[in-house]
Amino acid sequence: MYYDALRQGLAAPICLTWELTYACNLLCVHCLSSSGKRAPDELDTAEAKRLLDEWAAMKVFYINVGGGEPMTRPDFFELMEYSIEHGIGVKFSTNGTLLDRRAARWIASTDYLDVQISVDGASAGVNDPIRGEGSFSRARNAMELLAAEGFPFKVNHVVTRRSFQGLDELHAIVTGMGGQLRVTRLRPSGRGKAVWEALKLTQAQNRELYDWLRAHPDVLTGDSFFHLSALGQPLDGLNMCGAGRIVCCVDPRGDVYACPFVLAPEFKAGNVRDSSFGEVWQGSPLFERLRGWEVGGQCRSCGAYDRCHGGCMAVKHFTGVDLDDPDPECVRKPEAGSTATLLPLALKPRAISPRPPAASRPVGSRPLP
Amino acid sequence: MKLSDRVRLDDAVALRPERFGALAYSYRDRQLFFVDHALLPFVESAGGHTLGEIAGDLEAAGKVSKEALPRLLTVLEGLRRRGVLHVL
Repeated sequence: MYYDALRQGLAAPICLTWELTYACNLLCVHCLSSSGKRAPDELDTAEAKRLLDEWAAMKVFYINVGGGEPMTRPDFFELMEYSIEHGIGVKFSTNGTLLDRRAARWIASTDYLDVQISVDGASAGVNDPIRGEGSFSRARNAMELLAAEGFPFKVNHVVTRRSFQGLDELHAIVTGMGGQLRVTRLRPSGRGKAVWEALKLTQAQNRELYDWLRAHPDVLTGDSFFHLSALGQPLDGLNMCGAGRIVCCVDPRGDVYACPFVLAPEFKAGNVRDSSFGEVWQGSPLFERLRGWEVGGQCRSCGAYDRCHGGCMAVKHFTGVDLDDPDPECVRKPEAGSTATLLPLALKPRAISPRPPAASRPVGSRPLP
Repeated sequence: MKLSDRVRLDDAVALRPERFGALAYSYRDRQLFFVDHALLPFVESAGGHTLGEIAGDLEAAGKVSKEALPRLLTVLEGLRRRGVLHVL
């Protein structure tokens, strides 16, 4: 019902991702932002707070904080508290490696704060070749710390050809600890481009995933599998590409992109150091174009168009597919590429550094005014 | 929900004006709700008037027809059940 209203853009984004830093103590093979090293010109604390002030004035309801690993920023807790004090809820994504007992207590005692821990397999054997040696046990440790505080954390799982078999197991692990599973789609964004062909789901797995998601309404998806809604009843969510319409991403340097999965010059709308965020959101030619655009081509004559709207723009862009063509993983297209589950793909993520940098400590928390 | 009811927004719900009316967001359960133009005066009333008084004003101004009222009350009831609105 609200498809057209949403497609034409909102006064402020619903889903605003803020990549706080490109610094990361992991080097996951599929990282959407190719993170690892901090960029020298990342927004400083004062600039970050000015951005939060503007978002509060625009009535941004909440932000999705990511990176890199946001907890590597020395002002991480300060910025999160500043956001919440100004009425902007925080959902932050972390690899969990820097989440200690003290951070778990801070999280559990802070209102309007949600945490999502990234886990890309139900075991170290599946997860670690993607996220780095030792990353599974560290993420699991973070989950246990939050569970001990009675905090209902979320686990974000980028489902791949290798991890698919373990979905039920991971679901059981997470729910058994009082958490909630979120399953998201692998995109060929950032370093993901190099591994996408080998790790993306096969057609058979995509079909099975659709049924699995329908059977597990407690599992969140961040609306990332709307291309699978072409298989039947739409999955929960808006089932449309929100890039530049209801979604955008501010990177650590203040660059504003249409979506966290398209950190590419073609999809950069502006920078918050050059103009206000509001000016970029409301007036950038790129966003205006996206709001007036609908996937055309052969999709328009497909019976499933109303359910999938042509699929994910980021996946098309990074696979060289015209944006008016069907999603490369369109369920109505024949399978392309190998379907082998075990590929001779050497995944070499970095192991966790033994002594991670310590983030500054929380300074106390207050509920929303 | 009755026309004699007065309603107010839940304390943990924020409203943001949009082209189609407003978006409501519940910080409590992290849910978004669409509020169209016809519904907005009821949602924003803060208990100042009964639903019937608000509907009367809207009808007089030609903004809502009598026939549309049952639908609006149903939507308001849905918002009440989901904790967005409270009956005073």
